[in-house]
Amino acid sequence: MANILIVDDSSTMRKIISRSLRQAGLTVDEIYEAGDGIEGLGVIASGKSIQLILSDINMPNMDGLEFVKAVRANGNSTPIVMITTEGGEEIIAEAMSSGASDSIKKPFTPDQLQEKLGGLI
Amino acid sequence: MSPSSDISLTEEQVSGYVIAATREVFSTMIMMDVVDDFPLKEPVSRFKCSITGMVGFAGTYSGVISIHCPVSLALKITSNMLGVDCDEVNEDLNDAIGEIANMVGGSVKQVLSKGGLDVKLSIPTVISGEDYTVNSLSDNDCVVVPFTVEDHTMLVGLTLKKED
Repeated sequence: MANILIVDDSSTMRKIISRSLRQAGLTVDEIYEAGDGIEGLGVIASGKSIQLILSDINMPNMDGLEFVKAVRANGNSTPIVMITTEGGEEIIAEAMSSGASDSIKKPFTPDQLQEKLGGLI
Repeated sequence: MSPSSDISLTEEQVSGYVIAATREVFSTMIMMDVVDDFPLKEPVSRFKCSITGMVGFAGTYSGVISIHCPVSLALKITSNMLGVDCDEVNEDLNDAIGEIANMVGGSVKQVLSKGGLDVKLSIPTVISGEDYTVNSLSDNDCVVVPFTVEDHTMLVGLTLKKED
């Protein structure tokens, strides 16, 4: 079982991702939520055991690219998968070079989540 | 489906991007059929008992993608997205309509942008009310595509300008 942190400024999207993870048959235990990168860093800093992070890119306060860089700067190697409308090659390349593990484009299906995340949890 | 960087987009091209993006979002994330009915017969700027979600983009192209739908349809859309009944205008409704504008805007951006870094998307803005008007003060090209969704009419508009 894996604990997952979802970082997205849309509460609707956080709920859809949570539901889709379970629909995809992924073995999920606790799901933690954060509305931007700063909140996400706060959840990680609280010491919760997290095996996978799913993060949006386009968010207020601290976007997903800054969030990934901050997580890696803290020496945290938890897999981070970007789930984003920002599907452009250059943005994804920047996310990957910053330390992201993979990316999923919104809109997505539960099958696409399973395909991308099945090997990570 | 990539636009030339040197040639202005035609109305048919822009409406095609809007239709493809809207269909993809509704079929994948909302599980509702949308039927496009382009072109719009008459311009619409006044909305009653409706909700409007907007996302701006800036860079190589600038503009706004906007989604206008009656509250009754927005409640069904939100219920489908969340998997629970939604029967009032609240934060869930605003967030859902904003996220749809965000996803449609992201898909359109992917067509307009070379790699993603030359066009920036804004955070969504949502307005709703009993009676309001939405006007663009720019002279940018504007395409509005009407969609029929379960006997309701939803409008998806895109104002667009290629920057020099």
